[in-house]
Amino acid sequence: MDLSRRTDNVPTLEVKHLSRFFGGVAAVNNVSIAFTPQRITALIGPNGAGKTTLFNLIGGYIAPTSGAILLGTGDLTTRKPWEIARLGIGRLFQDVRVFGKLTTLENIVVAFPNQVGEMFWQPIFQRAQMMKMERPNIERAQALLEFVTLADKANTVAENLSFGQQKLLAIARLLAMDAKILLLDEPASGVHPAVLDSVMDLMSRLVDQGKTIIFIEHNISVVLELAHWVYVLDDSEVVAFGLPDEVIHDRVTREAYLGV
Amino acid sequence: MNYLLHILVMIGIYLILTQSLNLVMGYTGLLSVCHAAFYGIGAYASTLLMTSWGVNFFVALIASIVISMLLSFVVSIPTLRLRGDYFVLGTLGFQAIIFGIMYNWISFTRGPYGIPGIPSPSLFGFVFDSPSSYVSLTTAFALLTVGFVYLITSSQFGRVLKTIREDEIASQAIGKDPLFFKTTSFALGAGVAAIAGSLYAGYMRYIDPTSFTIAESLFLITILAIGGSGNIKGPIVGTVILVVLPEVLRFLQIPDTVAPNIRMMLYALALILLVIYRPRGLAGEYGFE
Repeated sequence: MDLSRRTDNVPTLEVKHLSRFFGGVAAVNNVSIAFTPQRITALIGPNGAGKTTLFNLIGGYIAPTSGAILLGTGDLTTRKPWEIARLGIGRLFQDVRVFGKLTTLENIVVAFPNQVGEMFWQPIFQRAQMMKMERPNIERAQALLEFVTLADKANTVAENLSFGQQKLLAIARLLAMDAKILLLDEPASGVHPAVLDSVMDLMSRLVDQGKTIIFIEHNISVVLELAHWVYVLDDSEVVAFGLPDEVIHDRVTREAYLGV
Repeated sequence: MNYLLHILVMIGIYLILTQSLNLVMGYTGLLSVCHAAFYGIGAYASTLLMTSWGVNFFVALIASIVISMLLSFVVSIPTLRLRGDYFVLGTLGFQAIIFGIMYNWISFTRGPYGIPGIPSPSLFGFVFDSPSSYVSLTTAFALLTVGFVYLITSSQFGRVLKTIREDEIASQAIGKDPLFFKTTSFALGAGVAAIAGSLYAGYMRYIDPTSFTIAESLFLITILAIGGSGNIKGPIVGTVILVVLPEVLRFLQIPDTVAPNIRMMLYALALILLVIYRPRGLAGEYGFE
């Protein structure tokens, strides 16, 4: 796998007047954002502001009450999560969700799209072709593990990795599925400082390669260091947006989020 | 000698049943309590085809696989879209309905009277009517089943099933359609269980609904819980132990009036100990939680 290859032509992900109500209570209310392609956008805001709900809406895990989710000219609003993933939108969950009983290597290999052997008859009737494809897939998976500094953990069962290593693995899995837009839910939280540097370095390298990254984060120094754009959500609405320095020092942000 | 051969035949039949359930439960993580229904569908479909239309056993066996797989969609398509609990309830309902049909539709299945006089399987003039020949037949099908399960699970297909078992949401997040894989796995399990049913009918030469009750489904789950699932060897270990165990108990000269109860108590004790100390069973990969 050529990990230095740039990702080109990343379509713009856009949410338009997106709302989601739970029994009359707004979790996301009339949010409109066009995420700049090949840049890092941070979503910040207090707990319960609607950030993860916005990710769940974009990922297709919950349906919006109103509004639209667009990828380029395509409408994602009613698509299923696996269809959205196949369109190149990858998701890192807050609780990571690696496949615990599979090895680190298997976690990556399984994510490659369009593999021979995925239909149940292929392992029987196209076994030779399947085995032929398996070898380069394993090599690509090993290259990805090296990219995320987990090469020495290839045969470790994923549930035995540290939380930070599981995050790195989950990001590598997004790269294996060839995601062009990465939704990262708190990539820096609960991570050992040494691993945090790896995560931040990885995010920088990915955006240099042309990926679009949207991340939710509470660690303001991480946001200031990485983000090109920042959106502040409070009480299910966007209350501020702009360049990191401007937004962090904005009065509305400080009142809504930082409490000062 | 015939007694030993009989045990080998039953091990072969149960190996087919447990490996097929292993695909559904051990690899895909779906708790199905209707596997005996597919076993029964296989037995009744091939029996009715042989006795009413004079179809050859092997043709009837293939037809029973197709019927069983098609009927599996009745359960899987509506329930697998929902959360896991609904699937369990769906399989419970299906088990009750199939048993109800086998027991009450007397003009079709002869109900509790059962169907006697089932012809023995024959192939190119050779009739499998002796215990030794039947051992070869069931062993051949058991080996084919083990080979089939091994081939399809040691592949990308098998890996995707495991991702669904581990975390269905994360599996969707990497672009896998869980409904497709779960319905496929369930249908394959149902089809293979029908093979066991056809072999059972051809061996016993008489079937009635009492062989295909929910107790039988729970017994199959017990085999996987004790032996283990999620790999090939777990169901083999469980099947050998639980098919042979009742026979061992016979030699302890426990009176027939209490023997079945003692057997059930031993199963319960084994299950409790395994859940506490070894949730993956004796040789399995997937742990019951």
